[in-house]
Amino acid sequence: MTATPESAMTTQPDARIESARDSLATATPGRVTLRDLRKIYGDDKTGTPAVKDIDLDIEPGEFITLLGPSGCGKTTTLRMIAGFETPTAGTIRLDDEVINKVAPNKRPMAMVFQSYALFPHMTVFDNVAYGLKLKKLPSARVTEEVETALTSMNLGPYRDRAPHQMSGGQQQRVALARALVMRPKVLLFDEPLSNLDAKLRVQMRGEIRRLQRRLGITTIFVTHDQDEAMTMSDRIVVMNVGVIEQVDTPQEIYRHPASVFVADFIGRANFLDVDVHEVRDDGAEVGVLGKRWSVGKHPAVAAGDVVTLMVRPESVRLSATDSREVGGSVGRVLSSMFYGEAIEYDIETEAGNLVVSVADPHAHETFTQGDFLDVGFEEGRAWLMPVAADTP
Amino acid sequence: MTATLLPAAADPVGTSSPSSRPRRGSGRDISLLVMVVVVALLLSVIVGLPLVRILTVAFSAEGWSIVSSMLSNPVNRGILWNTVQLGVIVSLLGTAVGFVMAYAQVRLKFRGKRILHLISLMPIVSPPFAVATAAITLFGRNGMISNGVFGQQIDIYGLKGLTFVLTLSFFPVAYMNLKGMLESLDPSLDEAAANLGANKLKIFTSVTLPMLIPGIAGSVLLLFVESIADLANPLVLGGDYTVLASRAYLAVVGEYNVAGGAAYSLVLLLPALSVFLIQRYWVSRKNVVSVTGKPAGSPELITAPALRIPMLVMAVAVASLVILMYATVVFGGFVKIFGVNNDFTLDHYRFVLAGIGSDAMFTTTLLALIATPIAGLLGMLIAWLVVRKLKRTSGLMDFVGMLGLAVPGTVIGIGYAIAFNTPTVFAGRQWFPAVAGGSAILGGAMAIVMVFVARSLPTGQRAGISALQQINPAIDEAATSLGASSLTTFRTVTLPLIRPALLAGLTYAFARSMTTLSPIVFITTPQTKIMTSQILAEVDSGRFGNAFAYCAILIVIVLSFIGLLNLAMLHPSIRGIQRR
Repeated sequence: MTATPESAMTTQPDARIESARDSLATATPGRVTLRDLRKIYGDDKTGTPAVKDIDLDIEPGEFITLLGPSGCGKTTTLRMIAGFETPTAGTIRLDDEVINKVAPNKRPMAMVFQSYALFPHMTVFDNVAYGLKLKKLPSARVTEEVETALTSMNLGPYRDRAPHQMSGGQQQRVALARALVMRPKVLLFDEPLSNLDAKLRVQMRGEIRRLQRRLGITTIFVTHDQDEAMTMSDRIVVMNVGVIEQVDTPQEIYRHPASVFVADFIGRANFLDVDVHEVRDDGAEVGVLGKRWSVGKHPAVAAGDVVTLMVRPESVRLSATDSREVGGSVGRVLSSMFYGEAIEYDIETEAGNLVVSVADPHAHETFTQGDFLDVGFEEGRAWLMPVAADTP
Repeated sequence: MTATLLPAAADPVGTSSPSSRPRRGSGRDISLLVMVVVVALLLSVIVGLPLVRILTVAFSAEGWSIVSSMLSNPVNRGILWNTVQLGVIVSLLGTAVGFVMAYAQVRLKFRGKRILHLISLMPIVSPPFAVATAAITLFGRNGMISNGVFGQQIDIYGLKGLTFVLTLSFFPVAYMNLKGMLESLDPSLDEAAANLGANKLKIFTSVTLPMLIPGIAGSVLLLFVESIADLANPLVLGGDYTVLASRAYLAVVGEYNVAGGAAYSLVLLLPALSVFLIQRYWVSRKNVVSVTGKPAGSPELITAPALRIPMLVMAVAVASLVILMYATVVFGGFVKIFGVNNDFTLDHYRFVLAGIGSDAMFTTTLLALIATPIAGLLGMLIAWLVVRKLKRTSGLMDFVGMLGLAVPGTVIGIGYAIAFNTPTVFAGRQWFPAVAGGSAILGGAMAIVMVFVARSLPTGQRAGISALQQINPAIDEAATSLGASSLTTFRTVTLPLIRPALLAGLTYAFARSMTTLSPIVFITTPQTKIMTSQILAEVDSGRFGNAFAYCAILIVIVLSFIGLLNLAMLHPSIRGIQRR
């Protein structure tokens, strides 16, 4: 394998790397429990809370992602777990032990930083050995552990390099090796991929995910990138202005969002105003686009609530029509954009403008601006949800 | 995954290490608390206590009668006016000279930039009397140039001479300030202005100048503080022109009137401290140019003769004056009486190197060598605490650390004499014996080291703060996350990363310790002779040759130290891996 390590990442890792990874596996992945966790910067009484009384249970071995726009409190939450911020109120437990007062350097957690935070004055080896030396391990043991960690990240040839002599992706892996070599109970990531270029970012996603599976280590990952969250996580915690909007698997969050914010933040969504005809326990009958539809609904939706119908761009169905007037099921193409793997339309309908994505445009009839179309959607994928008073 | 799945050989570190488990009640970082307490205590002793004591004496009945007569008593009013007048003139003139030198250095095209730069910095490493003594010899009543060349008998004593000597001594401060600022002006701003249709003059007046104004204002204020605080030159060159610093000196040393000294110190302290505060917290905030930032390109050097020639003529004139002064110092030490009896002699150097004067040379160097690492490390430690660790109290610690620079040396010296000439008694207990004065332990050497540290700490602190602000805090957190305590983080990560700032701090600490006079004259003792105060004695008795020899040797010691320090820092084992 000629392999720069970047490309080696995507090809089949060799047995040596795999066995190195196995020996890095954590013995006891930690369980992290947050209860009524609050953080107020500045004055406790007058300051604005960055995190508002959140509860969260993170299972041992789970890969959980804190996702949200900037200022949503995700990084603050992570830093409280790491011990870099002191909670204003509430508790953080690790395996049933309250660790609020445990100093950050005494917590069995390791963090990978957005900037990697490699020590620029130390070699790769010394960076990875840093924490082990602080544990006063015998130097032979340190060398052995560091070699294993470097091998597992395919960094063996770089042990004597300085951080600035390495590419971003390599630095990222040194940071990961430095964290993993500590055998932490919990691995923390603070937007670790945001400094990488797009292609490398996609590779590292898969790499980190595979590694995490293999090691079985509890992992808390902070990002504002929904693709990262969707592809890597067991569960996603969607946060907004200091509160948790939803905690669920990527699929559930995408298909059955708990709020308009979540639906809008994860993927893209059309929100249709509908006439509610009937609300059942497991769904609802609604009228929109000139038809009656049987759709799924959020459990909280009850008869008489203010609701909106979420339809993902890819579940809208378009077909040609002879009609020449917008109304009922008929819409008109306002614009179209060609993405290669998909084509995207902006469609004017009586229920508002819809964003529509049609996959594999070569296989379908394509439309142009001004075309009149018959517009519908897949009932099973539409989702009726409540509109909270404070969200638009 | 459970433990049984693991190969036995790879006994995970996590299970065997004590630090892998959260330890209940281990509390927050104790090493941080210890460091904060130690630094706070040190600062209270070396800066806080002397200031508090001088204030108590100044506000005592005896002291206050002098303070309150400051404006009513015509003599005192005159002294106050002299001080302000001198401060204003020197600060404006010095900034102008500094600007010319900086502008020439950064924007003009000519050869020999490196040499001009070194000449511009020379007055910083020189002892306080070098320029004054050389000026008297060259331009005084029987001056080699004034009288010898032009046949004039100029009275150099007084405002005229002080202005000349102080400007020449202090312009490097403005030079450094403005040079950094000019260098960091982003040339793309000039290009943007040109692109929008501005001509060169318009660019200078509408873009360059407004961006330099905070730097110019800052330099003026700094020079004002430096010149009103200066004691050495008014003592030698003042003549009848008394300023607050020399008046305070006279009160303490000549009249044994400590209360009077404290009173004049208070009056000196107020403008010095307020101007310093304005400079530090207001002007520097107005700063739109980041002095530490890297320029985004190199500006086009100016070749237009209309600007280049007059600027260069001025710059070369200033540089020649500086060279002339230091040449006088060097040659003056080798002749019997410079300008009067120019016979070659080694007597002066013999006096300093092997004779009675060698005592002071060894003592001063030794004490400076003791103070330098303390000041350098303490400066870095304070910088780190201020930038990274402290929250609400960081401003306070920063301010107290800077006091050693902001408070005039005369005031610190008198404060030391009041606070430490007697044992420190607090709450009916003696905490430590007298550390200053002839009857003190170690012949008063301890107080001198303390003064050295207090005076030279701030520069390292400033350099450390700006260095730290450029380093991502995540690097500290990474060390913490890997199990390092605050002290370990500072030792293994922070300190190696701010090595250039430490180097600057050490260099400055040594130079400052070797050349400081104003606080020293109040606490030096017969057992502990310090070079600067010995130079004062030689100048006072008219033995300029000895003074010149002292100055030259002092400069050689300082330069050798700087050279050795730079060499040591270049050594691979110390240098480590260069950062980006």
